[in-house]
This record gives sequence, structure tokens and C-alpha cells, in this order.
Amino acid sequence: MHKPLIDIRNVSFAYPGNETRVLDGANLQVFEGDFLAIVGGNGSGKSTLCKTMNGLIPRFYVGEFEGEVITDGMDTSVHDVAALSQSIGYVYQDFENQLLRPTVKEDASFVPLNYGLPDFMERGEWALQVTGLAHLKNEFVWQLSGGQKHLLALAGAIAMRPKILIVDEPIAQLDPQHAIQIYDVLKILNEQYGTTIIVIEHHTEFIAKYCKQVVLMDHGRVFWKKAVREALCSVEDLMERQIYPPQVTQAAHYLNLDHYPITLEEAVACFEGRTLSEIHSPKTILKGSTPKLSLKNTSVQYKTLGKKVKKALINISVDFLEGDQVALVGNNGAGKSTLLKLLTGIVKPTEGSLELLGKPLRKITPEELSSHIAYVFQNPEEMFIEDSVRKEIEYYLKVRKIENYGELVDRIMDDFDLTDFQHQDARLMSGGQQRRVSLAIGAAMRPSVIILDEPTANLDIATKSKVVMMLEQLKKHVDTIIIATHDMQLVAEWANRMIVMHAGEVLMDDTTDAIFQQRETLTQAGLVPPQIIALCNELNFPHCTTVEEFAKCWKGAAKRGELVGN
Amino acid sequence: MSWLEISKFLNEKLSLEYVKNELVKTAYGTEENLLTKLDPRVLLIWYCYFAIVPWFIHSHVVLIGYLLFMLFLTYRAKVSPLILGVMGLGLLGEMLILFIISLLFGGDLETVLPMVWLCIKLGGISLASVAVFTSINPEKFSDALLRLGFPAQFSFSVAYAYRILPTLLEEFQQIILSYRLRGLAPEKSGLFYWRKIVYFLIVFIRSFYPLILNSAKRSRTTVEALETKGFTYGANNLQMIKLKTGYLKLTYNDYAFTMISIFYLIIVHALHYVL
Repeated sequence: MHKPLIDIRNVSFAYPGNETRVLDGANLQVFEGDFLAIVGGNGSGKSTLCKTMNGLIPRFYVGEFEGEVITDGMDTSVHDVAALSQSIGYVYQDFENQLLRPTVKEDASFVPLNYGLPDFMERGEWALQVTGLAHLKNEFVWQLSGGQKHLLALAGAIAMRPKILIVDEPIAQLDPQHAIQIYDVLKILNEQYGTTIIVIEHHTEFIAKYCKQVVLMDHGRVFWKKAVREALCSVEDLMERQIYPPQVTQAAHYLNLDHYPITLEEAVACFEGRTLSEIHSPKTILKGSTPKLSLKNTSVQYKTLGKKVKKALINISVDFLEGDQVALVGNNGAGKSTLLKLLTGIVKPTEGSLELLGKPLRKITPEELSSHIAYVFQNPEEMFIEDSVRKEIEYYLKVRKIENYGELVDRIMDDFDLTDFQHQDARLMSGGQQRRVSLAIGAAMRPSVIILDEPTANLDIATKSKVVMMLEQLKKHVDTIIIATHDMQLVAEWANRMIVMHAGEVLMDDTTDAIFQQRETLTQAGLVPPQIIALCNELNFPHCTTVEEFAKCWKGAAKRGELVGN
Repeated sequence: MSWLEISKFLNEKLSLEYVKNELVKTAYGTEENLLTKLDPRVLLIWYCYFAIVPWFIHSHVVLIGYLLFMLFLTYRAKVSPLILGVMGLGLLGEMLILFIISLLFGGDLETVLPMVWLCIKLGGISLASVAVFTSINPEKFSDALLRLGFPAQFSFSVAYAYRILPTLLEEFQQIILSYRLRGLAPEKSGLFYWRKIVYFLIVFIRSFYPLILNSAKRSRTTVEALETKGFTYGANNLQMIKLKTGYLKLTYNDYAFTMISIFYLIIVHALHYVL
């Protein structure tokens, strides 16, 4: 066999001042042309392993390092990061803070410039071409959308045409269309330019579609490296570590099939030709009672820099009722965030009105609305204004001089499992814990309506499933929950009602079940339903929202002898 | 203009969004003017003279001469009204405070006169700064420093400070919102909106702390990214400096501007002896 491009031998590492070994005897070989996904639970050492490949460990983070890493023929403990970085590019998950130059063009050509290559501009332009940003080259980076910033971070890393590219969770915060765009770029790099690609990834559906090999990390070791099909079919190994294979694979595993599909297309072929009868009791829309919050014919427009008027929302009328669990979905730029800002008083309607309990609001300010509506930001860090969890949660109650607020705070901390951390600074907690704090802050405002912006963004799957449990806790404290999200699995499992936004208008407002079965609407709004729902749609099976439901439905049919065909 | 329009106008001009856009426009403004055509190195050296020398000049004629020159350049450099407004407020405020202090020590209206001269001196210096920094964008400024022999780390920091500014302002806005979304605004506005103003000032000041903490935390990625993008390699690489700043060339414009400035200085200083 030919020589590996990256050879990690018996590597152990502990961060300075920390006893636990994040890596504990890891061994891995990566070969030229690999498209490798690294999966593993929280704290299994995925990012740390990747940082040993370009010498950040042990050259930049000086901890307890043992073992040997050879990247592209260079020993990482001898060569410095700068020398290694010529053949290995790294894209961080936190893409905003790795864009170092003011304009798109300059950022893309920054690396080759640093290495003193005379054709640095051409290299930058090539990278922009590949990532599809060429038309934006003279823009300032802060004018880009989230998806574009992501692509630019990628462009910056490939301008050197490195042999190896490492990408840490490339699509964690993206809508499905941008996610596909990013992976398509990685695929082009891998297939046309021969770049070896390593991604840290939770989304197994993307792994199935794009990657060639999978590495499973566990407790600082490489548990195995397998070809993608074999890897994703090792369902038990993955599930044990809270990694969920594609839903269709899980379904096949539940049903003990001999052969597991890993993509939707394969699953269609696998389950095709049968008819199943309905067992699912469809969710219904609540009716009656005065709406808690409603929008009447509201429009929002604002002036852009060039004095042009931009219509962000066009004639929206929606009622939110008690007990509603609403998911607000749509692609970036569909008007979701403007709608959230409108509901929380940050943006004022240009036309129309906002009604609380049937009464139109005359004065719309965030302070005024905060007595009824709580808004939980996408990035919990931006909500933290105090220096301990307890103080964060009690801030709202304290400034209003509510009597005995201490008891309420205690109860909420108990509900959200935060009592043990109450004196810690929330900024220093893990992503999942920060999310819990942000939900607790919202609950402590005792709002009638709570609005959550992307509550599952940037969380690993294990923490994500906890968010659904937290939402159940939240129900005790509020009347109505509204969630804006790209996470269709969350929508399918949690919401009873779905509002689909597209180009500033409400495209559809119906039960989740009904909308997920309307393929045209979904395509128009750029939404991709969870795989299991897509499978049922493809095969004209009854609607199933989860793998368990699908398995139950299938088994039931098998028992009754209804599985016609095969 | 009705009250409503005035308040709408003020709302627009005082919003953080407006401040952000103005700052970015001032910093990276691409509008051509007299000074943008010059080599930034020339401008920087020119500026060093006009930022330091006036402190040691007491001749009224010369000070007025300097001020007139700067007024002309400020006009030609199309400086943003926001910046001029802030500067004007600063100067007036400073005079007022000094006047009040002088009153405490038994001064009277006569003490205003020397302060006017101080103000003219400060005004000249400030206008020079504003005109120069409106006309050099941070990138050129940083390149000029690099070419003049300052360390790459220093010149990069200058450029990065500007690049991160809009991002920081955005986050600042978000944190202010956090305060507002959980805070309690005073129910009555009070005379001249003083209650509201105090409320917003407090929110404004308190929002700085979380901002600083958050940025400190995130700078880790930035530092790592710098390393993986070969920055330290480039910093010790003369080839990089040549490539990056190769476009800086002295032209006819630079010589002309230098000569005219020197000529003007000679006249102004000569006038001091004549008048």
C-alpha cells in the first residue's frame, strides 16, 4: 500500500493544567484522495485530533504530548505550524472570527500572500471561483450573509491549494441549501483537484452522500476507520455513542433487514412496492379562544444603504393561540428573523398592527413587550449580561422588584438542571449548558409567549435531543412557544403547527403533518423534510414523523399480513 | 419641521446602525478626493508634522494659517458630518469645562480669549487628523506602516482593528437588546426625556462589559486562524512585504503636494514676522 499522507501514531495529549487526556493513544492513517468524516460524541477528541495534524498541537498548545504525527512527510513536532500550513488548510466552526481581512478578495488571498507567492491574487480569485463567490470579491466581509461567510472561510483555506483540507462542522449553522452548496464545493475539491478532505460532522445523511471513509472516535482513541457504507451500517457502535446514522438506516436496523440502505434513493428501492395502512393519529390545529398574540396585515420595510426600500415582510396576518407549538421555517432571507424582531418589538411595523389578547398595541418597544413575550437569541452568549447563571436568570425579576423572586428562580433552575452551576459564569459553560441557561432566562420572564431562534444550532445530536426535553419543561411556564429553525427533525418531532415563510410572505400555515406531505410547497420554500418523512412521501406510505413510528407501522402491517408485494 | 419629524430624524441619526455605517464609510470610503491620490507614507509623515509642531507654536498668525489650511483640506476630503459634529461637540465641551473651572478660580470672561486660541490650535490638529484618516483607508495605512519599517504584527493589528469594528458594533447592538428585552424602561419620560436618557446611558455603558468578555473569548479562534494562515511566516518574510506594498509608489502628485505644503508653511511663518 502507498504511503499515508497523514500518519498519527500512538498520540496522547492533555491540555495544560488539565489532568484528563483528551487524546489517549490515538492511531490513524489518512491517504491521498480520502474524503474522511470524523464522528464521535462530545469530548471524544475529534477537534483535538485534527489539531495534531497541522501541528497546532503540540507547537501552539503546549501540553503533555506523546507519540508522533507525520503530515505530508513532515514530523509535526519538528516543523512549525506555518510550514505545515502550506500543505494543510484548516476551517474552523466559528467562521466569523477567522475572516481576518476587510474585503472578500483580500481575505481569500491572505494565505498565499503570507507565503510570498507572487500570484497570490490569482490564487485568491481561483478560490472564490470554486466556492462561487467570485461576484462578491469587492464586498466587505461584514456585508455577507452567514452562508457566504462560511464559503469565504473555505475559500481562504483552499487558496494555497493545500493537499489536505480539514473542516470542523462545515454545516452546523446552515440552511439545507447552503449546506448542500458547501458539500458540493468539497466534493469538487476532492474529485477534480485531488484534495484530501477531512470533516468533523454530525450529519450522517451528508456523510452518506459525500464522504468515502468514516472514523469513529471514542475516549480519545480511534475506535475504527471504515468505508462509509460499512461505517454507517455499524448502527450499534454509532448509537451507543449517541451518533445517529441516517434515519433510513436506523429504520432498516429496527426492522432487522439483512441489508441496510444509507441514502434515501437506496431506501426507496429497499422498501418499494408495498402498501401500508394508517396508524398515525394526525396532529390537529388548535382553534377557538382569543389569540395570545396576533399580527394583522403587517408589513415591514426599510431603507438599505443605497436608499432603496426593501420589503422584508409583506402583509402578514397570523394568530398565535394558547398551547400552540409553532415552528417558523423558511430559508435565509425568507423574512423569519424580521418576523421575530417584529413580534418582540425590536422592529416596528410599517403598516398593520400587533395585538396582544385581542387588543392592538399602541406603544411597541422591547421593554413594553418583554412583559408578555420572551425572546431567546440564537447565540446564547449574546444574552449573557451578568457574571453568574443565577444573576442572569433573576435579572428580569430583580429590576421589576418582584417579591420573593428567589423561590421562582430556584424552581426554574431546578427545572432546567442548573442548580449546580448557579454561581458559574455562563460564558464559560458548554454549548448545551449555555442553551439551557438561555431557555431558563426566557422562562423566568414568565412570558405568555416565548420565541426561540434556532434552539438546536451548534449542538451535537445528543444535546439536541435534550433540547426537546427542555421544551417540555418550558411548556410548564408559558402559553405559547414559537421556534424559528432550519432543523426539520426538531419540527417534525415537536411542533404541531408550521408557518412556512418565503420571500417575506407566509407561504403556508398548517399542521406540520399536512405541510410535510406537500412536496411542491417544500421545494418552493427550499425545505428538506426529515429523511423518514421523505421516504414515506416517496412511497406513498402513511405519514410517519419518526423512525420508531415507521418501524411500528411496518411491523404492524407485517403482523396483519398486509405487506403486499415484495 | 414638526416635532414628530424632528424626533424621527434624531432617531435615525442617533441609531447605532447609522453610526456603524458612517464609521465604515469614513474608514473605508472609496470616494476619490485630493488626499486619496497621495501615497499614504507621504500623508503619514505630513500628518506627523501637523499633529506635533502646532503644540509648540504660539504665534496667532501661524495658528490661523494652519487652521485655514486644514479647513481647506477638510473641505476637499469630504469628511463625514457625523465625525465633524462629534469633533465640534468635543471642542466646545472642552472650552465650556475649562471656562467653568477658570470661574471657580476667580476667572471671568477675559479668560475665554486664551481658550479660543487653544481651541484654534486643537481644531487645526483635529482637522488634520480627520482629513488624513478619512482619506487613508486602514489598509493603506497599515501598508504604509509596514513599508516604513514597523513590525508586521503592529501594522496587521491596525488593519484588523478596523476590520473587526463593524462586527463588534453588531454584537454591541445585540447586547444592548438583551438588556432592553429583559430590562424595565422608566414609565415617564421626565423633563427633556432625562429619565429615558439616563436609562439608555446606563444600558449603553453596562453593555461594554459583556462585549469585552465575549470578544476576549472568541479571539482564540482568531489567533489560531492567524497561525494556520501562515501569518507568522509572512511576518518574517521580506518577499511578502514587497508583494503586499508593491503598489505604493511616489508620483508627481506626492512631490507637488509636499512642495505646496512647504511653500505654504514658509509663507505663513514669514507672515508672522511681517504682521
